[in-house]
Amino acid sequence: MKPATFEYRKATTVADVVQWLKDAPDGKVIAGGQSLVPLMNFRLARPSVLIDINGIRALHHVEYDGSTLDLGALIHHQEIADHPEIQKKFPVLTVAARHIGHWAIRNRGTLGGSLAHADPASEWPAAMVALQAEIDVQGSPGVHRVPASEFFLGYYTTVLEPDEMIVGARVPATGASRIGFAEVARRTGDFALAGAFVEDCLDGTGFVTWFGVSDKPQRIAVALPPARETSWREALEQLTLNDVAEDKIALAIEIAERALKHSALVGAAYFGAHAIRGRD
Amino acid sequence: MTEQAMRPQFMGARVKRVEDPRLLTGQARFLDDIDVPGMLEVAFVRSPYPAARIMGIDTKAAKAAPGVRAVIAFEDCPVVLWQKDAYEVGQPVLAHGEVRYVGEPVVAIVAENRYVAEDAAELVTVHYEPLEPVLDMYRSIAENPRRVHENASNVFFYKKYTTKGFDEAFPAAAHHLQETFRTTRQTAVTLEPRGTAAMPDPASGRMTVYASTQSPHRIRGDLAELLGWPENQIRVIVPEVGGGFGMKANTYPEDVVVVWAAHQLRKPVKWVSDRTESLLTDVHARDDIHEVEVAFEDDGRIIAIKDHLMADGGAYPAYPFSGAVGETSLASRVLPGPYQIPYIETEIHCTYSNKTPLGAYRGVWGPIASFVQEGIVDRVARAVGRDPAEVRRINMIRPDQFPFRNAAGMVYDPGSYGESMEEALGLIGYDTFRTRQTELRKEGIYRGIGISVFVEPTAMASSEAGSVGYESVFIRVEPTGKVTAAFGLGPTGQGHETTMAQLIADQVGVNVEDVVILHGDTDSAPFGGGTGGSRSGPIGGGAALVAGREMRQRLVKLAAHLLEAAEEDIELGNGQAWVAGVPDRAMTIQQLAEIAYTHVKRIPAGMPIGLELVARYQPERSVSFSNGTHVAEVDVDIRTGMVQVLNYVVVNDCGRLINPLIVEGQIYGGVAQGIGSAFLESLRYDEDGQLTTTSLMDYLLPEATDVPRMMTKHLVTPSAGEGGIKGMGEGSLIGAPAALVNAVSDALEPFGVMVNRLPVTAEDIRQWILA
Ligand SMILES: Cc1cc2nc3c(=O)[nH]c(=O)nc-3n(C[C@H](O)[C@H](O)[C@H](O)COP(=O)(O)OP(=O)(O)OC[C@H]3O[C@@H](n4cnc5c(N)ncnc54)[C@H](O)[C@@H]3O)c2cc1C
Repeated sequence: MKPATFEYRKATTVADVVQWLKDAPDGKVIAGGQSLVPLMNFRLARPSVLIDINGIRALHHVEYDGSTLDLGALIHHQEIADHPEIQKKFPVLTVAARHIGHWAIRNRGTLGGSLAHADPASEWPAAMVALQAEIDVQGSPGVHRVPASEFFLGYYTTVLEPDEMIVGARVPATGASRIGFAEVARRTGDFALAGAFVEDCLDGTGFVTWFGVSDKPQRIAVALPPARETSWREALEQLTLNDVAEDKIALAIEIAERALKHSALVGAAYFGAHAIRGRD
Repeated sequence: MTEQAMRPQFMGARVKRVEDPRLLTGQARFLDDIDVPGMLEVAFVRSPYPAARIMGIDTKAAKAAPGVRAVIAFEDCPVVLWQKDAYEVGQPVLAHGEVRYVGEPVVAIVAENRYVAEDAAELVTVHYEPLEPVLDMYRSIAENPRRVHENASNVFFYKKYTTKGFDEAFPAAAHHLQETFRTTRQTAVTLEPRGTAAMPDPASGRMTVYASTQSPHRIRGDLAELLGWPENQIRVIVPEVGGGFGMKANTYPEDVVVVWAAHQLRKPVKWVSDRTESLLTDVHARDDIHEVEVAFEDDGRIIAIKDHLMADGGAYPAYPFSGAVGETSLASRVLPGPYQIPYIETEIHCTYSNKTPLGAYRGVWGPIASFVQEGIVDRVARAVGRDPAEVRRINMIRPDQFPFRNAAGMVYDPGSYGESMEEALGLIGYDTFRTRQTELRKEGIYRGIGISVFVEPTAMASSEAGSVGYESVFIRVEPTGKVTAAFGLGPTGQGHETTMAQLIADQVGVNVEDVVILHGDTDSAPFGGGTGGSRSGPIGGGAALVAGREMRQRLVKLAAHLLEAAEEDIELGNGQAWVAGVPDRAMTIQQLAEIAYTHVKRIPAGMPIGLELVARYQPERSVSFSNGTHVAEVDVDIRTGMVQVLNYVVVNDCGRLINPLIVEGQIYGGVAQGIGSAFLESLRYDEDGQLTTTSLMDYLLPEATDVPRMMTKHLVTPSAGEGGIKGMGEGSLIGAPAALVNAVSDALEPFGVMVNRLPVTAEDIRQWILA
C-alpha cells in the first residue's frame, strides 16, 4: 500500500498550478489529501506530478459581505464547523460540516477538495447545490463562475478540465426560507447512506437536495402538504438512483422528512444532539 | 504459605498498567520500529484469483528493476506449512502450481525498501488459468463444483456426538422448533498488523527473528522444524504487540519467507502487513452455520438440542491448527452454556473452500455458540409466551449441581450463573423495563433488552496457544533486592507486565515497582505456550505465584538463618524480612540478596548460592469455567434500521481478580468487539470469490462513538487452581453479540423479528420491517 513514484511540487500561486497542470495533464492537485492519498496508496490514482496547493494563502479565506458568503477552496471542514458568522447566517453549513468524517479528517479535508472529488455521498457538493452556490474555477483564461447545479456531472465527475482548479465557492444568503439537514450513516463520521437538505419556503412548497442516494446532487422543487410521501416519491423519480430497492426509497423519504423537521427548529435545538450525530 | 501471603497487598488491587505510559506517549517499540542499517523490505505478489492454475511466472523484469535484491518463488523456498498428523494438506509458503484464495502469496520481492518492492511486484507476470471456485459450504460438502485439493476430500473434519437417551427424549418433548443460525466471516483487525523481521548474526551464525506473535516459543519451534535448523540457532524476540486476539497465534507463510530470505541474502529483512493484506490474509474467523432443532416443554424447559454445525475452513488449514475445527468442536461441547439441557446431538462438517484460511479470533467458538444458545432460549420463551428471563431461570444450572457435567460431557467447575443474571437484571432495572417498553412503543420507539448468560472455558490444557498445558517463570532476586521475572507468555496488550508483577510482589514481599517482567525473548524466557485461550492469567499467573512462593521460601530460610529465628516466625513485606512481633529484628531484602550473591559464606548449609529459580505450573483441572451475564438495552430506529445501544451491563465472574482495572479493560474491549460482531463487521466475498471488503472503508469496525458506557460488577467464585484465578480474556466477546442481537429481536417483537444472523445490519432491519 505504497503510492507509485510521483514528482512533488509546491505551488504558491494559482497561476503556477494552472501552468503545471497544463504541462502535465496527468498531474493532480493535492489539498487535504484525505481522498487523494488513499487512492494513491491503493495505486488507483497515479499522478506523475503532485501539486501541493496548501501554500496558496489566497485560497484560505471566509468572507461574508451581507449577501454572499465567499469561501476559499482551502477552507477546512472544521473551520466551517467552527466559524461563528457561518453559524449565525448559514447554520445549515455548520450542522452539515459536523457530519463530515471525524475531527482529524475535518481538520485536513478542504471544501475545494470535496467539491472536486465529487463523491455523491458527500455533504459539500449537495450543500452547494441546495444553497444555489457558484463555484469559482480558474484555468488558463482566468476565473469563471459555474453554478453548482451545473458543476457536478455524476459519480466523481465534474465539469473541471484537467488544467483547471477550484479557487472557491460563493454562497448567497438564504432569505426567508428555512433549510434543514438530516443524514444517516452506518457509523458516526461515515459517508451518508442517505442525506438531505430540505428548504421550506413556508408557503407549502420547498426544495429537496439529496446526497448518497443518486449519482449527483440535484435541487428539486417539491410541494410540502401535510401528507408528503407522494411529493418525495415524485422528486426521487427525477434522480438517477443508486438503488431502487423499496427500503432505500423509504430511507431517502425518511431522511427528507427529518431534514424538513430539522428546518423548523430554532436556536440551540437546531444544533442539538439530535441534529448532530457527529459527536466526536 | 504464611498468613501474611494470604493477605495480598497487590493481588486484587487497581494497580495502574506499567505499559500505559509508553503506549500513550508513543514510546512503545513495535515491530515496524525495528530498523537496522541495510535492512531490506518485502512485498508479496498475491493471487488475484480464488482458484487458478499457475501456468508460468515471469519475474525477469522484476529481477532487473533497480533496488531489487531477490525475487522468490516456491521453487526457491519450497516450504509447506503442514501439520501432517492432523490434516491431509498443507499450505506452501508461496503458491505451488495452483492458487486457492485471493491474497495467497505467490512471489516475494525483496528490495531496498517497500516502495521499490511494490513497484517491482507490479512487474511480475503470473499466467493463470482460472478454475471454478468452491465458495459455498453446503456445496463443498457435496464436493461441488469440485475439490479444493485434488487429493483431499473437501470435508476435512467430521464428528458426531449424541448424548445417551437423546433419541427417546427428543421426540417425546411437547414442542419443537427449528432455526438456522449464520455467522459471517470476520477477522481480528489488530491495530498493529502482522509482521516479521529477521537478521542473521554473522558472528554467531544465529538468526534473530522479530515477530509480532502470541507464542514466541511456538514460532521458534515452527521455524526450526520448517527450515530444518537447530532450535538454538534461532532467537525469537517479540517486541510490543498491538493486539493479537488469536489471529497472531499462527505461523504464517510470510514469516517463513522473510526468515528464509534473510538467511539466503545474509541481510536483515522485514515485512509488515498493510491493512489490505491484513484483511485478505490474516486468518479469518466465524464462518459458521448452525442448523438447530430444539425440543422443549410447555413451561420453557429445554429438553434437547440437535445441531448440525458447519464451518468453512478456507483454502488450507491455518498452521498449525484450523479455526474451523476450533470453532465447531468446542461449540458443540459448550453449546448448552449455563443451562441444564440434558440431551444434545451434534454433527460437525468442516470444509475447504477457495477463501482465506480460518483461524482463531477472540472467543473462537464462544461468540458463535452463545449467539446460538441464547437465540434458542429467546425463541423458546417467545414460543411458550414467557419472559426470557423466566425461561432462563427455569433452565439454569443451580449452585448445588456443581461440578456439573453438561450434555456433551464437559465438566463445569463452580460458577455464579443464576446469581450473575439476577445481579445484571437488577442493575439494568429489568423489573420496570417491560412497562417502559410498552409505553415507548406507543410513541413509536422500539426499545429492546437482550440477555446473554455465558460460560467461558479458560486455562485449557490445549488451546490456540498449543497443547502446552503449563507455564514457566524464571525468577531472580537481583543482588540489589530488585526482582526480575521472565515468562514464556506472549502478551499482545493485556498488561502482563503489571499483573504478573503484582502476583510476584506479594509473594516475594517487595513493592510492585520493584518487579520487572520480561517476556517474548526465547533467549531469556523459559519455554512456554504463549498467550491464547484465556490462559495467561490462570496458568501464567499460577506460575508466577508458584515461582514467587518458592523464592519467598528461599528468602525466609535465609532470613531465619541470619536473624536466628524459626522459619515460621519470619515475615516478608515492603522489601523487608522480620521476625514476627519483633519488627526491629529485621533485614532488608536487599541485604539478604547481597548476602546470597556475595557473602556466600553466610548462606545456610544446603541452600544454593544466589536467588534464581525456574518454576512451572500446570493446573490440575484441564479447564476452568468463568461465567457472567451481559444485558443490553437498545433502541431500534425502525425507519432507518439503525440500532443505538443505550445501556449495557456486565456482571462477570472470573474467580479471584488480579487487577480489576485490567479485567474491566478486557470487558470494555470485548464488548466493543461484540458490537462489531453484532452490527458491523463482515468480510464479504462476491459470487466470483473476490473479497470485496479489503479496506476499513468496507470492513466496518466499531468506533468510540458506537460503544456505550457500561456498568460492570464482579462476582468471585474462585477456581480450584493457584490463586483461585480463572481466565477472562474472551468472555466479554463471547457474551456480547448474543445480548445485542437478542435486544434487537426483543425491540422488534411486534414485527415478529428474531435475529438469526451476525451481523445484523440496518439494511436487514429495514427489510424485515417492510416485509
Ligand atoms: C475516514 C474518512 C471519512 C470521510 N468521511 C467523509 C464524509 O462523511 N463526508 C465527506 O464529504 N467526506 C468525507 N471524507 C472525505 C474528506 O472530506 C475529504 O477531505 C474530501 O473529500 C477531499 O478533500 P481534500 O482536501 O482532502 O482533497 P484531496 O484528497 O487533496 O483531493 C481530492 C481530489 O480533489 C482534487 N482537488 C483538491 N483540491 C482541489 C482544488 N482546489 N481544485 C481542483 N481539484 C482539487 C484532487 O486533485 C483530488 O482529485 C472522509 C475521508 C476519510 C479519510
